[in-house]
This record gives sequence, C-alpha cells and structure tokens, in this order.
Amino acid sequence: MAAFMESFRIWIDGTAASAFMGQSWWAWRVAESLHFFGLSLLIGTVGMFDLRLIGLVKSVPLTALHRMVPWGIFGYLINVSTGILFFAGFPDQYMYNPSFHLKMLFMGMAGINVLVFYLVVFGKIKALDLNDEPPPAARIIGLVSLMCWVAVITFGRLLTFYRPPWYWCPWC
Amino acid sequence: MNFDPFFRWVEESSLSVWIVESPSMFAFPGILVFHALGMAFLVGGNVALDLRVLGFARGIPVPSMERFFPVMWFGFLVNTISGILLLIGYPTKALTNPVFYLKLTLILLAMVTMRWFQVRILRNPGPEKDSVSSRARLLAVVSILMWFGAVTSGRLLAYTANRLTVDLLNF
Repeated sequence: MAAFMESFRIWIDGTAASAFMGQSWWAWRVAESLHFFGLSLLIGTVGMFDLRLIGLVKSVPLTALHRMVPWGIFGYLINVSTGILFFAGFPDQYMYNPSFHLKMLFMGMAGINVLVFYLVVFGKIKALDLNDEPPPAARIIGLVSLMCWVAVITFGRLLTFYRPPWYWCPWC
Repeated sequence: MNFDPFFRWVEESSLSVWIVESPSMFAFPGILVFHALGMAFLVGGNVALDLRVLGFARGIPVPSMERFFPVMWFGFLVNTISGILLLIGYPTKALTNPVFYLKLTLILLAMVTMRWFQVRILRNPGPEKDSVSSRARLLAVVSILMWFGAVTSGRLLAYTANRLTVDLLNF
C-alpha cells in the first residue's frame, strides 16, 4: 500500500497540472476562491433541499426545490476539478494528511447517501402532492446528507493545520 | 492617523493571544471552520435565491423563499461573530489591508440587495405571480457577482496583507 501510494505520488507530482499549480502565482488563489464559491453553491441548493427534507424551510415545495439540485452538481464539479488541481500541486500534503482522509471518507458517505436517496425515496417523493410531507426515511437521508457536507467543509478547512511534515497522521 | 497603539492593545489582549496562539483546534482553526460554514449558508442561500429570480427552478413560488431568510441570517450571524473573533486575532493584518474594506463593502451591498429582494420581490409579487421585473433580474446577477467578489476578496486576504501584526511585516 505504501509503495503504491508513493508511486502514485511520484506520478502525479510529475504531471503538467502539478507544475502549473506549484509555479503559477495566480492559479492556486483563483482555484481557492472557486472552491469556496462552489461549496457555497452546493450548500445553497443541496443543503437547502436537505433542510427541506428534514422539515425546515417547509413552505418551499419539495419537488420544485429539487430543480435547484443541478446547480449544486455544478458547484460540486467546480470543487472536484479545483480539488484535483490542489491535490496534483502538492500530493504529499494531502495523501499523508488525516484531515484529508476524513474529508474523503465523508465525501464517500455523502455519495452513498445520494445513491440511497435516488434508489429508495425519490420515486415516492415525486409522487407526493404539493403539500404532503416526505416519508420518514427521507428526513434521515436529508440529515445524513447535511451532516456529511458540514463534515466535508470542516475537514477541508482543517486540512492546512494537519499538513506533513509538521503533523503526521497516526494511521499513515 | 496612527492606529498602531490600538492594534497593539487588541493583540496583547488575552482573547487575541488565545485565538492566535492556542494549540486547541477550537481556537483559530475552529473559528475558520465556522466562518466557512456560515459563508456556505449565507452565500449559497443568496445565490439560490438569485438563480430563482433569474428564472431557474420556476416551480418554486418566489414568496415561499421567505423561509430561506432565517437560514441566511443565521449564516450571517455565525460569520459576524467568527469574523469579529478573527479580527481580534489579527487586527493589523485585516485593518491595514484595502482588500478587507472591499470585502466588507461587497457584503454590505449584497445584504442590502438581499433585503430588497425580501421586501420588494418576495412580499410584493407582481401582477403575474411568478414573473419578476428585468430590474430584479439585473440585480440578481449583480448579487451573484457581489457574493463571488466577497468570497474571493475574503480568500485573498491571506495573500494581500501588508502587515501580519503590529510589529511584523507580512512576507
């Protein structure tokens, strides 16, 4: 595993994207700003939908609010793209960073939760009348989604305080 | 006017020292986390509102977005408190940087715009229930740009500061 991680690190460190992120004086700063705006877009659309599933923001029709989700996906794609650029720039700072591992764990959980939502409850929600309440399972899915994204932002923001070589994670 | 004595007074306060120097994750790192989360709800909610005004997700009745406002105000409150704490941590760094004033100006104007949408659009629907004026749509575009500018200038504070503390230049 360690050998695989090292060869992966060396490969990505040699890419043009890595050199660009490390050398350009503006690329990192622009990517950071986009990353912060992208996460806002995700929370403002998907996060609001989660709040609606939980039972807050109740006046907004559920299925109509779901139409905002493509904008959340847009924000998500901005952040995956800029995130890959950060990682390529300084791979060791992420690969051996416990905060990054936790961020990826919660992103994975959020992803599984999205699948569960569309496979299990979305069909029922589409069939609801305008003022019907979503099934209890939807509330739990909304809560899990919101908690996952809050955790992703939290560990993303904490990344910089757990960077090697000042801090080595216990499990690396 | 020389504000250095004021900056020094703030930086020598025990709260400022704790924010900057405490090894606790609840000090500086934790405050940054709250500042990012509050931003997400305030900026995100506003951009979603702007997108609706621009005509996306038309199924959402504009007046029903009133329920977004407590969420956005909560984000604003979290960021005011965490922002003041960050300011107490590094007063010289922020207050000697023109970009900081740009950020505050953009937030002020964007918050006024948010309130304008609430009073003039949400609570005062036009003759056709779900259409909004072209002026409102223009303002929605301006609002998105102002929030993007506020986020960007906030992010750039890390790179544009001339002085870090009252005695330290930023290199």
